Amino acid sequence: MASTVIGANITIEGEVIADEDVVVQGTVRGKLSAKDGVTVESGAVVEADVSGGPMTFAGQVTGNVTSTDRVELQSGARVVGNVKAARITIADGAHFKGNVDMDV
Amino acid sequence: MASSETTIIGRDTRIRARVTGASDVEVQGHLEGELTVSGEVRVTETATIAADIRARRIVVRGAVRGDLNADEAILLEEGAKVVGDVRAPRVAIAPGGLVKGYVETGHAGEGKSHVGRIAHATATCAAPAPVRHAPPAPKSAPAKAHPPAKAHANSKSAGKGGRLSLAGGKAPPPVVPVLKKGTKAALTKRR
Repeated sequence: MASTVIGANITIEGEVIADEDVVVQGTVRGKLSAKDGVTVESGAVVEADVSGGPMTFAGQVTGNVTSTDRVELQSGARVVGNVKAARITIADGAHFKGNVDMDV
Repeated sequence: MASSETTIIGRDTRIRARVTGASDVEVQGHLEGELTVSGEVRVTETATIAADIRARRIVVRGAVRGDLNADEAILLEEGAKVVGDVRAPRVAIAPGGLVKGYVETGHAGEGKSHVGRIAHATATCAAPAPVRHAPPAPKSAPAKAHPPAKAHANSKSAGKGGRLSLAGGKAPPPVVPVLKKGTKAALTKRR
């Protein structure tokens, strides 16, 4: 269960720091930091540096992404930025531009 | 789905930002900055907010430091702690709701009918707003405050209303006698 949900018609300009799951359906600009999972749903716009645990992106993410766990770019996701994570999966149909830094 | 329409700021989430948009927002955690939405804002018991809130409707059960402005109504329920001004066409302060600030019901263009509602709202809150108005106009303030307080006492049980209004009015009455006694002192001070 997601504890923090940023709805589709909501824009947050600033800093979001969560010790729990975050689901973004709307727009976040600035910084997004979660201790747990981050989900960027289809239609969502994140223009922020994102850090946290397991991440799933289906929407648009512009910024550097740092995850202690896995990052999953689903089909339809548009990600521009550097991604640093233990594991990264990019689905067929996902758009991605940036550096990938995995634990090799 | 309803969940997709509602934005939830979870209890372990801290936001320092400007939050704007069209959906409902439920704040369970910490929000600092500004919250402006066209839907309903719910502030739960666990929430701590340091932000001005503008919405269609605001329901507060937690702590808010900042001004509340609603197009429809503001409901301050049990557990609400508000330090700031409260403005809406309708304002309700439930028993257990605490307010420190100026409370105004009705729109600026509305008639005097909302004056009574102001008194009703302030009578039930612990820290009445008229404190601010008392110093500049000590004579006119009690005159305004008393009739609505009586009306309130009549409308509800006289005991409760009376006690509440007395409790709320305890601070101002000492001020007035002091001023009356002090007229001599004030004069002597002036001289």
